[in-house]
Amino acid sequence: MITFIRTLGVRALQIALVAFFVTVGTNILVRLVPGDPAQTILGERASPAALAALRQELGLEAPLLQQIASALGKLVQGDLGTSFAHRGQDVTSLIGPALAVTGSLAAVAILFSIVGGVTVGLWIALVRGPGADLAGRLVITVLLALPSFMAGLILLYALSLRLGLAPAGGWAGTWPANAQYIWLPALALAMYLGSLIARTVRQAALDTLGQPFIEAARTRGVPRSRIVLCHVLPNAVLPVIPLVGFNAGILVGGAVTVEAVFALPGLGAQLLQSMSTRDLPVVQGIALVTAVAIVVFNLLADAVNIAADPRLRRSH
Amino acid sequence: MAAVAELPGSVSVRPQIRPRRLELRVGIGLVLAVVLACVLIPILNSTDPNALVGSPLQPPSSKHPFGTDTVGRDVFVRVFHAGRLDIVLAALGVLVPLVSGTVIGTLVGASRSRAVDAIAMRVTDALIAFPFTILVLVIVLVIGADTQIPPLPAGAPSILAAVWLVNWTIYARLARARTHVIRQEDFVAATRLLGFSRVRILTRHLLPSVWPTTATYAVSDALLLVSLIAALPFLGAGIQPPTAEWGNIMYEGRGVLSQAWWISLSTAGVVLVFGTGVMMVVDSLVSNPRRARLS
Repeated sequence: MITFIRTLGVRALQIALVAFFVTVGTNILVRLVPGDPAQTILGERASPAALAALRQELGLEAPLLQQIASALGKLVQGDLGTSFAHRGQDVTSLIGPALAVTGSLAAVAILFSIVGGVTVGLWIALVRGPGADLAGRLVITVLLALPSFMAGLILLYALSLRLGLAPAGGWAGTWPANAQYIWLPALALAMYLGSLIARTVRQAALDTLGQPFIEAARTRGVPRSRIVLCHVLPNAVLPVIPLVGFNAGILVGGAVTVEAVFALPGLGAQLLQSMSTRDLPVVQGIALVTAVAIVVFNLLADAVNIAADPRLRRSH
Repeated sequence: MAAVAELPGSVSVRPQIRPRRLELRVGIGLVLAVVLACVLIPILNSTDPNALVGSPLQPPSSKHPFGTDTVGRDVFVRVFHAGRLDIVLAALGVLVPLVSGTVIGTLVGASRSRAVDAIAMRVTDALIAFPFTILVLVIVLVIGADTQIPPLPAGAPSILAAVWLVNWTIYARLARARTHVIRQEDFVAATRLLGFSRVRILTRHLLPSVWPTTATYAVSDALLLVSLIAALPFLGAGIQPPTAEWGNIMYEGRGVLSQAWWISLSTAGVVLVFGTGVMMVVDSLVSNPRRARLS
């Protein structure tokens, strides 16, 4: 229990630290962006006086340190500032809907990859015969080499355009109507993580099958199905949790490109639009939200891991 | 040096690399096939990658094995011209962080100062916390997607700068962890007892034992980079058209996927053959997939 609380404490500190670094880092970074946001908002023919007034209003005239300090102060209150391009609109209200799209895509993809990866990995480990094992390993290798957006292109062509099983992109905006739009992109995104999980589960299952307690269960006449479900499966699934947590960053990066292939209105589309209009607060907000999301996700993975594995609670 | 090597009971501390032979050979074969095709096809077939060779959206035929694209350029010729660019960019993008990250990580790992270690770890933490794709995208857009440095096409300098700026962190992590292990070994203690200078211990004893670990990761990193470079056009960045690049050929093909699958999918096929080859080489070098990642 003490380990548990300490782990959570360390992670919580990490979230604060990451939020701080990202806010400071993006403030310095966006200062380097060529072009003046005030000019972009008001257009080429704006008068110098209007430009100066807007720069004042946006807080661009203040020294860099003061800008960073004020950004940090607002952040503590959950305020990410207001958008440059959409005057008077909160960054949080712009990012929110996009985050919901990307978040649900990632969640469905994680669900698909855990269910699919564990099943396939266990199956490869249990099927005896070098042919099945070789074939399974080969398929996993090919899928690991396949970038998510390419998986998206292939699935889009085969399942949507050829077989007509799903719409060729778009977003309904309401649940459960979104389900028919989300399953194909989520499947594409799950290919990489799913094969990573399958490979890990296969190895863990093979390791477990070689343990003395499996041998003992077998000699006592415990049925094979019971050995697999009660002894092999729990041990084989354990390494999956930290694996998913560790790959959260890759998953978000992949989600953004898969969204582009399937024209989903997620963070990728929002980021792109904000960069083209030099909407600095929105860009900062997206960078911050994704970075913090990944740390929070790792925190959850740690918590689930400790809850699932009694050995982690007893040690230390 | 020789005296140390001949000490009784000394064991190799380099990572035990036991390549699975067949997998390694097939992997190298696939990678070489794509690399050779990228070198030879543009030499043997003198068609300009931007020349209009026929009517647009022709399906694959013996004359144009991958068909023609939306304006009537030969996709087959473009894919292998693109391969030259993608592979060279990935190699450049891997080599610089491999060298700088390995050196930085070994220095940090060898340093006895807690402050140096803490600062280095927090800097890498902050960079690793970002989703790599989004960080690179932001940097690419800050530098400007159309910044041009002569031998490289528009878009390439900003990609390389972004990758060089970010990617050394993972190599530094790996090198640091590896150095921490190595410096416990007897032979490092022996070099210290022999009174070797710090520079000598670092360059002749630590680095030779550290770099196989980072170099192994570099192979899989090259594949990640090829995927990243090819993904950028889908996010509005990347190599600017009309320069042929795997990603922008596929992005262009996405728009006409229902009428002309061959533009996107034949390119994807070539990239996948290359990627599978690299993946097999990686698999045979590290039997445990998790070991190649940071610790």
